[in-house]
Amino acid sequence: MTQNPKKLPEKLQLATSAHVKYIQSLDTRKDEYDYWLTEHLRLNGLYWGLTALHLLGEPDTLPRPETIDFVLSCQHENGGFGAAPGHDAHMLSTVSAVQILATIDAFDELESRGKGKAQVGKYIANLQNRQTGTFAGDEWGEEDTRFLYGAFNALSLLGLLRLVDVDKAVSHIAACANIDGGYGVSPGAESHSGQIFTCVAALTIAGRQDLIDKERLGRWLSERQTASGGLNGRPEKMEDVCYSWWVLSSLEMIGKTHWVDKQQLINFILRCQDTEKGGISDRPGDMVDVWHTLFGITGLSLLDYPGLEPVDEVYCMPKSAITRILGR
Amino acid sequence: MADQGGSQHGIARTSRVRTEAQRQSDLDRIQKYKDLESQLRSLVQSQGADPQEIYTLTTRLLRLNPEYYTVWNVRRRALISGLFSRPSPGSSCSKASSSFSASDTTTTSTAASSPSSSTAATRPSPPSPTAGRSGTTLDNNTPSENENKEKEKNEEEDLKLLETELNFTIPLLLESPKCYWIWSYRLWLLRQAIERLSVAAAKRIWEAELKLAGKMLSKDPRNFHAWGYRRHVVETLESKALNGTSLVEQEFAYTTRMIESKLSNFSAWHSRSKLIPRLLDERGADENARRGFLDQELGYIRRALNVGPEDQSLWYYHQFLVLNIVSPVGHPTIVPGFSLEDRVTYMTRELEEMKDLLEDYDDEKLIYEALLEYTLYLCGLEGRKPEPEERDDLVKWLTKLKELDPMRNGRWADLERDQALTELLPGVEQGGIPILQR
Amino acid sequence: MESLADTLWDVVICGTGLQQSLLALALSRSDKKILHIDPHSFYGGGEAAFSLQEAESWVGEVAAGTEGSFTDASITKPDGSTGLSFPRAYSLALAPQMIHARSELLSQLVSSRAYRQVEFLAVGSFFIFKPSTDPSQKPELVRIPSTREAVFATTAITSKAKRGLMKFLKFVMDYNSETRSETWKPYADVPLTEFLFKEFKMDQELQTYIITLTLSLDGKISTRDGLAAISRHLSSMGVYGVGFAALYPKWGGLSEIAQVSCRAGAVGGTVYMLGTGIKEMNTIEDTIELQLTSGDTIKTKKLVKGDQGFPGVGISRLVAVINSPLKSLFEPTVEGAPIPAVAALAFPPGLLSDADGKVSENPTYLFAHSSDTGECPSGQSVLYLTTQYAPGSMVLLQKALDFFLEAAADDSTPKCLYQLRYDQRGSDETPASKDASVFHLQSPSPSLAFNDSALESVREAWKAVMGDTAVDAEYMTFTDREGAMGDDDDVYD
Repeated sequence: MTQNPKKLPEKLQLATSAHVKYIQSLDTRKDEYDYWLTEHLRLNGLYWGLTALHLLGEPDTLPRPETIDFVLSCQHENGGFGAAPGHDAHMLSTVSAVQILATIDAFDELESRGKGKAQVGKYIANLQNRQTGTFAGDEWGEEDTRFLYGAFNALSLLGLLRLVDVDKAVSHIAACANIDGGYGVSPGAESHSGQIFTCVAALTIAGRQDLIDKERLGRWLSERQTASGGLNGRPEKMEDVCYSWWVLSSLEMIGKTHWVDKQQLINFILRCQDTEKGGISDRPGDMVDVWHTLFGITGLSLLDYPGLEPVDEVYCMPKSAITRILGR
Repeated sequence: MADQGGSQHGIARTSRVRTEAQRQSDLDRIQKYKDLESQLRSLVQSQGADPQEIYTLTTRLLRLNPEYYTVWNVRRRALISGLFSRPSPGSSCSKASSSFSASDTTTTSTAASSPSSSTAATRPSPPSPTAGRSGTTLDNNTPSENENKEKEKNEEEDLKLLETELNFTIPLLLESPKCYWIWSYRLWLLRQAIERLSVAAAKRIWEAELKLAGKMLSKDPRNFHAWGYRRHVVETLESKALNGTSLVEQEFAYTTRMIESKLSNFSAWHSRSKLIPRLLDERGADENARRGFLDQELGYIRRALNVGPEDQSLWYYHQFLVLNIVSPVGHPTIVPGFSLEDRVTYMTRELEEMKDLLEDYDDEKLIYEALLEYTLYLCGLEGRKPEPEERDDLVKWLTKLKELDPMRNGRWADLERDQALTELLPGVEQGGIPILQR
Repeated sequence: MESLADTLWDVVICGTGLQQSLLALALSRSDKKILHIDPHSFYGGGEAAFSLQEAESWVGEVAAGTEGSFTDASITKPDGSTGLSFPRAYSLALAPQMIHARSELLSQLVSSRAYRQVEFLAVGSFFIFKPSTDPSQKPELVRIPSTREAVFATTAITSKAKRGLMKFLKFVMDYNSETRSETWKPYADVPLTEFLFKEFKMDQELQTYIITLTLSLDGKISTRDGLAAISRHLSSMGVYGVGFAALYPKWGGLSEIAQVSCRAGAVGGTVYMLGTGIKEMNTIEDTIELQLTSGDTIKTKKLVKGDQGFPGVGISRLVAVINSPLKSLFEPTVEGAPIPAVAALAFPPGLLSDADGKVSENPTYLFAHSSDTGECPSGQSVLYLTTQYAPGSMVLLQKALDFFLEAAADDSTPKCLYQLRYDQRGSDETPASKDASVFHLQSPSPSLAFNDSALESVREAWKAVMGDTAVDAEYMTFTDREGAMGDDDDVYD
């Protein structure tokens, strides 16, 4: 374990080994009711845990062959992935599957043992609404900029962005922009940090950052930092570790990370750790979960916390994987 | 990856150590849950299973776990493939596309048991509220009396079923108001109402939905699912499919009521700002009416700022109005007819108001931010650099900002730098200084 | 079954007032042998709620001098019985108190599951009575703005004054923080009004607004207590729903909570005997021998009883039934708020004068209860007026009532159908218990809002009865009894 000695008091160090153990333990909790109730997030959960482990510098904690087997066991004939074997295909789990395979460099296996990249691309592309450019999550039609970002993320990793109408999608994002510089879940909806991340990242993937009002957006985003040091998702709401990712990555993409107080944010995230049993929660003293654990760690990584692998602010994956795949 | 389902929010950390008895009871619950799940699975896979039976099982499972999206899909298929009076006009989905039947086999095998599960490939264009009842087959023929009776009876049954479905989700929604899947299922039901029912009946259902959205917002006035949902319901109620008329006045009044019950409701202020252009258009507001409207809104937000200068939500709305004053291009504007002189007059007055606020609230950083920003707007409008006194003010306010809000020192430093730069720039284009452009 | 006399009781609780009843609730799952007696023939003691008939016989008992802290009770019916419904259609509370949402009492009712049997109603706006300066005009009832939204909405004060008020409301929100404390601590023991004037430049009218929110009986509440009371009010706002800070139990307020608690006691095995008091008491070593008015002689390890004759504060009360629903008082003020059932009104000091023309220096409070409280039939309201006792205070209450009826008139002035008047002494302090086996609980509080300090002595008594087996974390924490409403998965099948 490479824990850098820091000036911070003992309590405010990243409890790296506890977090690794925590993530490792997640799939051993089959005697807990919640384990079964969250099966619809299994593939997403794998992505969250795996990414966290890579950033913590422990990429080999989860065995690669089993990881690939599990991911492929979730794939459907149509190319899409369900959250777990026997679950319907959905954009969210499909994106997670692509991200996992990309991170562990296993697209080859998708070709040889799965349905192949092209089929995955086709599944995603078919979810685009050709009139408006946005994307649905599945065949039942729920639309959201989350799905648009997911599609851009996965398709660009697969090298298949050409399968969709990028310009239409971009103009849809533009229609979601608000006067405060932020973006909502659909045209007319209020700005929300999570949605801002999806829109800014999608525009970045599409090479259309020119559409962003960076000054105004930067201001809105920087106002998300509260007195606690943490970030909230919308005005007059409580801070939450997950926004350490949504807000911070967006600031990073528009080059304004220095508009918030980094040290205070680091301290806030560290205060949300369960230093004994591992894991990070939304706020200090709350229950931990893998989702907040990942976004606490990605936040720290963006803040150059020592000992962490750099995270890519657009893809939310290890930077090394993105460099390998996209050459950026 | 932006899905928040399943994550813990705001639940206190406890060192839960289960007793053996508790562990046993957890195991029992798990067994019960898994039994239910496998019962459903095998039913879905079997040929000719009774949709009613599948439907009943999904009810039980969804009550235990409303996040189980696949089960919502199974339920939709059960409704479409047998429980509704006829297959969904807009849906291509059949039981065979259920993943319960598709992927219990290993997916690496190419011989999946189902025919094509590539449902997305045949996905219809997303049902739009204006699609109306175009899917029915009776439109072109004069229906016989029997056909009419049959149709009425079907509609009645579909109505009953839809109402049962809508009622089914309410307790689930109250318990999990942020569960995407429930909201999305409900919307699907509502679209079914348009496809399957008479306009009058469908309209009643959608109207009831507006009440539900209101109820959800009373419980949590910031729930953006509920706000988005409300917007969608209103749009549909206004659409041709439901013989609708504009609800913009009603919705505008609703934002007023929501704001007055919680001033810091950013969502309500946001919604208000989005309704205004349409409101004015539909009122057929002339120059004077528009100016009057702007005055009224400025007065309203000023009264709010008077009691809440620390509230970001209020400032965002103020900023929205100010942008309407200074920046005619690119935004749907309240007062497109304003002359430059009008704009300068209004801007100058707002600045005076802000300075007056400082007299009682000299430690509210948002006032200083507004003063800085608005002073630059004013200079931009007049196409000039800040006057020396203005410059002194800017420096004073910036110093105060650094002192009151050191967290954002990076931003203040940038502002200071850019400010110096702005001064070096020659003339500023008409319509605003660069900071204004989007 | 063992006879009363053969049993060695763990505790005898005498009186079914709120505190004694809460103790019965706290002990209801303890497996202790408990005998709960009350000399009255009704539940609730000094917090009881009466039908008109019960009120009449109670007035008789007060006259006979057996009612301890209550004196000088009388009933008048201005028009005979005209306009009144049948006697059981009324449920008049002797000591109505609102319960703030942040009160520990509510937390205990929730954790003990007793809340399931109580129906809570919202306490709505607070008003100030404002006499008219022009004789052709009615006096006004001005709503007190106590939230930012209400300050925003009100047109009663200037925008400058609003800023002062907002600053104060914000101050109260964290008045115990270090920097805030520095500001108010020097004023801790002087009247709050002085603090408001010196630190927030509030004029007298705004001061009155603030004092009314504290429900201080003499208007001279100290800065320390006043800030605590206002903080309780503000932090309670919105806890159980939009637009209200306090609750009131349907069917007679605290009396209802006392009854629900006793019912929980009975379900848990406590033996109840109404109409039974203690005639004589002897302590023999560790055992107390009690001769009851029923003729029984019993033995118990502990005795808990209400306090009698503790001096405390004197107040005068007037309960009036009127023939108007007072609709405008019970309007919800914000979107999504429930229709309130209680409205509070204050007549500021210096406004009312007694028969000799002596101007009262105390405020007078009026709580209006709509028929939603179940305390009167629909179309009528019950008014509870309270002021600090002084010779002639009944005249003040009568005047306040008349003023109110004038102000509340729309087409015609509402008429008073029935009046119950009495004086009462009470205290929020708990008398010290003199020996280890006999506990005294306080007499009914004179406060208009429930004071959490009342819960402390109940807890102490519980600890004493439980002895070594008392586990603090388990106090008042129960699961639903079987057969109570549950939301098992199975109800869906």
